[in-house]
Amino acid sequence: MKNKNSHIISFVLDGEVVDIDFSGAQSLRPTTTVLNYLRSLPNHKGCKEGCAEGDCGACTVVLAKYEQKKIRYQAVDACLIFLPMLHGKQLITVENVGSSHKLHPVQEAMVDLDGSQCGFCTPGFIMAMFELYKNTSIPTNDQIDDALTGNLCRCTGYRSIIDAAQRAGAKKARDHFSQQKEIKKMLGGIHTNNIQLSNKNQVYHKPCDKQSALKLIQRHPKATIVAGATDIALRVTKNHENIPEIIDIGDIEELKKISSSKSHYKIGAGASLESVKAFSKVRLPALHKMLAVFGSKQIRHLATLGGNLGSASPIGDTTPVLIALKAIIVIEGKNGARKVPMSKFITGYRKSQCKAGELITEIQIPRARNGALIRSYKISKRKDLDIATVSAGFRVCLDKSNIPTDLMLVYGGMAEMTKRAVKTEEFLSGKVWNRKMIEQASNMISADFNPISDARSGARAREVMAKNLLMKFWTETTKA
Amino acid sequence: MSKLAHESAKFHVTGEAVYIDDILVNEQLLHGHVVYSPYAHAKIISYNIEEAENLEGVQCILSYKDIPGENQMGPVIHDELVLASDTVTFIGQAIFLIAAESEEIARNAEKLIKIKYKELKPILSIVDAIKSGVLIQPKRKIENGNLRKAFKKAANIIEGELKTGAQEQWYLETQIALVYPGEGKDLLVHSSTQHPSETQAIISEVLGIPKNEIEVQVRRMGGAFGGKETQANHTAAWASLLAHHTRRPVKIRLFRDDDQKMTGKRHRFLTYYKASFDKKGVISGLDLEQHTDAGAATDLTMAILERAMMHADNAYYIPNIRILGFAWFTNLPSNTAFRGFGGPQGMACIETIIDKIARQLKKDPAEIRRINFYRGEERSETPYGQIVEHNRLDIIDEQLMQSSKYIDRRDKIKQFNEKNEFIKRGIAITPVKFGISFTTSFLNQAGALVHVYKDGTILANHGGTEMGQGLHTKIQQITALEFGVSTERIKVNATSTAKVPNTSATAASAGTDLNGMAIKDAVLKLKNRIAIVVAEEFNKNIPKSKLESDEEDIIFVNDNIYDSENTTRKISFKDAVNLVYLNQVSLSATGFYKTPDIHFDREKGKGHPYFYYSFGMAVTEIELDTLTGFFKNLRTDILHDVGEPLNKRLDIGQIEGGYIQGQGWCTTEECKWDDKGNLLNHSPDTYKIPNIQDIPKDFRVQLLEGFPNSANTIRRSKTVAEPPLMLALSCWLAIKDAISAVGNHEIEPEYSLPATNEVILLSVDKIRKQLD
Repeated sequence: MKNKNSHIISFVLDGEVVDIDFSGAQSLRPTTTVLNYLRSLPNHKGCKEGCAEGDCGACTVVLAKYEQKKIRYQAVDACLIFLPMLHGKQLITVENVGSSHKLHPVQEAMVDLDGSQCGFCTPGFIMAMFELYKNTSIPTNDQIDDALTGNLCRCTGYRSIIDAAQRAGAKKARDHFSQQKEIKKMLGGIHTNNIQLSNKNQVYHKPCDKQSALKLIQRHPKATIVAGATDIALRVTKNHENIPEIIDIGDIEELKKISSSKSHYKIGAGASLESVKAFSKVRLPALHKMLAVFGSKQIRHLATLGGNLGSASPIGDTTPVLIALKAIIVIEGKNGARKVPMSKFITGYRKSQCKAGELITEIQIPRARNGALIRSYKISKRKDLDIATVSAGFRVCLDKSNIPTDLMLVYGGMAEMTKRAVKTEEFLSGKVWNRKMIEQASNMISADFNPISDARSGARAREVMAKNLLMKFWTETTKA
Repeated sequence: MSKLAHESAKFHVTGEAVYIDDILVNEQLLHGHVVYSPYAHAKIISYNIEEAENLEGVQCILSYKDIPGENQMGPVIHDELVLASDTVTFIGQAIFLIAAESEEIARNAEKLIKIKYKELKPILSIVDAIKSGVLIQPKRKIENGNLRKAFKKAANIIEGELKTGAQEQWYLETQIALVYPGEGKDLLVHSSTQHPSETQAIISEVLGIPKNEIEVQVRRMGGAFGGKETQANHTAAWASLLAHHTRRPVKIRLFRDDDQKMTGKRHRFLTYYKASFDKKGVISGLDLEQHTDAGAATDLTMAILERAMMHADNAYYIPNIRILGFAWFTNLPSNTAFRGFGGPQGMACIETIIDKIARQLKKDPAEIRRINFYRGEERSETPYGQIVEHNRLDIIDEQLMQSSKYIDRRDKIKQFNEKNEFIKRGIAITPVKFGISFTTSFLNQAGALVHVYKDGTILANHGGTEMGQGLHTKIQQITALEFGVSTERIKVNATSTAKVPNTSATAASAGTDLNGMAIKDAVLKLKNRIAIVVAEEFNKNIPKSKLESDEEDIIFVNDNIYDSENTTRKISFKDAVNLVYLNQVSLSATGFYKTPDIHFDREKGKGHPYFYYSFGMAVTEIELDTLTGFFKNLRTDILHDVGEPLNKRLDIGQIEGGYIQGQGWCTTEECKWDDKGNLLNHSPDTYKIPNIQDIPKDFRVQLLEGFPNSANTIRRSKTVAEPPLMLALSCWLAIKDAISAVGNHEIEPEYSLPATNEVILLSVDKIRKQLD
C-alpha cells in the first residue's frame, strides 16, 4: 500500500473525517489556504483574515497531531497553510473550542477580564491561548508573551489579554478535548501514502518519505519545494500567483530529526524552528537568541531551518549566526549527499548552492571549540515578529594577549546577501581586543558595506547599527 | 452595573460575532474589485476595457462615465472623485470597478485592462508642498494677547521645528461593504462605517437616488479609530454602484495592502515654533506655524487642523499666542480622522517646547509643566477664548506624582545612568487636556428610537455605531438605569439609518455623551406614558378614604413600578407594559439631544466650542539600549478623569488601548513613501503596530475618583475614547530623556516622532560625536 499514490487528503474537522478530492472540487485547489477553506464554510466564520501574511494571527487555528500515542497541539496561521498540509491532522477552530452557551475556560477568562473590544482579533487570540492551555501547565509570563506574540490587537493594549491567559492557565481543568479517544481513532485511520493531487493548472505532491521526495525533486526539477510554506504561501495569498508544481516535504519525519554527536549537532532541514529553538536553548545559545525573535510561535511551528536557508533571503535572520557557527549544509541530489560550508552556501540575492533537483536535508553545527565566543544580534523596528533591519553573527577567540583569532563578523541586511565585514576583520587581526581598537575598527564598516535605504530603515542608520553591534559584541566579550 | 462586560464579549470569544464578511451569502453574490492608479500624478491618455469586459464571469466594469449621479464623495468639501476621470492624483485612486463571479476572475479581468498614462510630477512631502504653494483650503488663524510685546520683553526665546509622522489606523477588519439591491432602486447597504447617515448621503448623491431608497446598517466594526469616519463611504459607494448596475448583491472587501495604500492616515505635521519664557520657565508667548499634509482631497483635514490648533496649548496657559494653520495639497491619499484628530500633533509640539525649556534651564520638565498649567481664574483663558472651568490638572498632577513616586524614581534613574554607559533610563510625565464636542457645532446632535415590546423586553436604537469601544454596552446600561429595569431586558442592535435618521458620526469621543442623552429622552417619554396608565390602574380599586396615586409619584425600580407615596401599590414592569398596550398607548418613542451652549466662530477663531474638557496624565519610565535603539517600557502610571464612570471596565480598556495605540504612533509605526509616492509600509510585514511584548512591564491605570462631570452629561460621566492616546507622549519623551542622558542632559537631542530605532540611534550617534 505504501507506494501507491493517493489522490485524496483526509483530516478531522468538527469530529468527523473530511476527505477532499481536488480533481472533483470546483472551488478548492491544493493551494487553497485553510483560511479560505474555513471561510467558505457556513459555520467557521470565526477564522478571520486580517493580513493574509502571518503577521496578525487573526486566523490562528490549532492543528492536533497524533504522535507516539499522544495528541500534540500546535497553533498555526491558517492563511499560511495549504489544504494538503492538514492531511492526517485534526483542525480545531474557535467554534470547536466553545460556544456562547458553553464557554471554554480560556473564553470565559477573556470575557471576565475584558480581553476583547472590537472582537475581530479575538478568535485568533483564543486559539493561541487554547494551545497554551493544552500544552503548558501553569504558564509563566514569558510563555504567555511568547504564545501571543503572533497575534495583533489594536484595541485593548493587551494587558487584559495577558491577565486572561494567566487566569485560564492558573486554574486548569479538564475540557472536552481531554477525552480524545474517537479523534485518535480517526487520525490513526488516515492513510500515510504518497499523495499526488492535480487540478486545473496545478500538481501538488506530498511524498511520505525522503527517498520519494528526492525522486520527485529529480523528476520535477522546476517544482517549488515547500516545507512549512510560510514564505511560499505569500506568493499565493499576496501575489495571487498560480504555482504550477509543488513538492511538499512538510510531513517527512526523517527530515525532522535533531541529534547530537561528539563533534556536531545535526538538525534535520525539516525540523520546525520551534523545535530547533527548544533544542538550541542550552546547546546553541546564539542560535536560540535569534530564533526567540524569529516570527511568532504560529510561524515557527511551520517554518523550518532548511526552508529559511533555501529562500536565501538577503536578511535571513538565521544565516549570519549559522555562518558564525560554521554550520555545514548537507545537500542531497542525484549523486548522493554533499556538504557545503554555510559561509559559501549563499551565492547572491536569493541564490544558493542548492540547485534544481537537490534538497537541503540537514544542517550540521560543529560544537564550538573551547574559548570561541559566538553571539547573534538582530535590530528590527519592533523587537518581536519583525524582519531584521540589520542582523549579525559574530565569533571570536581571544588568545592570552587578548588578541582575536578566528574572528568572524557576519552581517545581514547590509548588502544584497549576508556578508562578512572582511576589511573590518582584517583591521582587527593582530590588534588587541580593546575599546580603542573596536572604535577604530568600526570606522572600517563603511568600507565593507554600502547599505540601502528601504521601508525598514535609512542607509545611514544601518551603518550606525552595524557599528554599534560590533561595540555591543565587544562589551559582551570583555570582562568588566 | 458600572461593571458590566462588553455586550458582545461572549460572541467575540467564540467567533459567533457577525462582521460584514461573515454574513451568509448565496451564489448570486458578485465580488467587487477596485482598479486603482499606480501613479501619484498622471494624465490618463486612453484606456481599453473591452477585453476585460468579455472575460467569462465578469458582470460589469464601470468607469466614471457610468456614475448616474455626481462623481463626488467628499464628505465636507465636494472635491473627491468616486472614480478618476482624466487625471489621477494619488496612488490608490479608484479608476474602474469590476463586478465578477469570483475574486479571481475580477483580478484576472484587471490584468486585461489597458490604461495609458502620462506621468506628471507629484508633490509628496510637506516641504515640497509648501514650496508648491497649493493650499487645499485657506489658512486658519487663532490669536490672543500681544505676541510682539511678549517676545520683546522675554528673558529667553527658543525656536525650532518638529516633525510628526503619519499613522495608519490598522483596524483589524479592513474596509468592507455588502450591498443588496431590492425592488425599484432600493438598496440595503451593510457598511463597516462610523457614520451610516453620511454613507447613505454619499450613496444617494453618487447614484442620484433619494435617501429614503437607501438603508445603511452596521452591527459592529472590527475596529475603526477614525479610519471609517469618512473613508468607509468610498467602499460603500463603489459597492453600491456595482449593485445598482447589476441588480445583484455585491461585496467589496479591501485586501490589507490595498487598504493601507488606498486610504488616508493620521496627518503628518511639520510645526515651526518660537516660544518666550522667563527664567523660571513660565511661557509668556508662543508663535506657531502648523503645516499639514492634506493629501489629494480635503476630507476632514480642516476640522483636524482646527483641533490641532486648539490643542497646541494642551494643558498650558499661554497668554500671548498666534497659531497659523496650513493644510497643503499633496499627491497622496486624502489623510483622515484618527483617534485624537489633530490633538496629538498639536500637543507633541508644546510638550517638546516644555521639554526643551527644562533642559535649557536645567530643571525637571515635570516642574516646568506644573508652573505652566491652566490654573485658577487668572490662568484660564484658552487661545480661542473658552475658559477652562472645573480644571482637574493640579489634582491629577499631585495624586499621580505621589502614586507613581516620580521624584524617587527620577533620582534612581540618575544613579542608574551614571553607572551604565550604553543602557540608559528615562522618565516623563505628560498631561492631556482634551476638548469634548465636534468643533462644527451643529454636528452635536443625536437621535434615538426605543421600542418596548409586550413581553417587557426593550430594543434601544440610537445613531451611534459600535466599533469595540463599548458604546452599545453603555447604551444598554443607560436604558436600564433610566427605566429601572435589568440590562437583560435590553437589546441594542445594529445601527440603521431606517431607525434613526440624520445622525452624526460616532466620533469626537462624543458617542455616549450624545446618544446616551437621546436614549434618556426617549425613555423619559415612555416612562411618562407608562406612569399615566399605571397611576390610573392603581386608582381603579382604591377605597375613597385613601389618596389617589399621582402619575408624578410613579417610580421605576428593579423591574417594578411603584407609587413612591404608597409602595404597596406595585406592578411588575412586564405587566405594566401589557396594560399600556391594552390601553392603546404607544410603546415606542423617539429621543433627541443637542449639546447646549456651544459655538465657535471660525473667522474670528473665538468661541466656546467644547462642552467640557477631559483631563488625564501619565508617567512613563523606559529603558533604552543606546546601541540597538530598542526600548523597554518599564512602567506606566495613568490617572485619568472620566467623571462619574458609566462602566469602569470599559473605560480602563479604552485608556490602556488608547495609550498603547499612542505608543505605536510615537515609536514603531512609520509610514514612508518612495520618490514616486509609493507607500513602502503597506502591510504588517513592514508597518509595525505594538505587539504584546511592547506594552509596559508594569501598567497601572487609575480613574480619578470623586469628581463627577460638572457639565450636565449623561449620569455625570465623561467620555474616554480619544484623550488617552495622547498620554503616550510620556513614553516618547521618556525615550528622549534617556537619549539626553547620553550627553548628560547638556546637549539637546535631535528628535522627531515616531522615535523609531533609526531616529534614536542617529540622535545618540550625533550626541556621542559631540562628546568626543
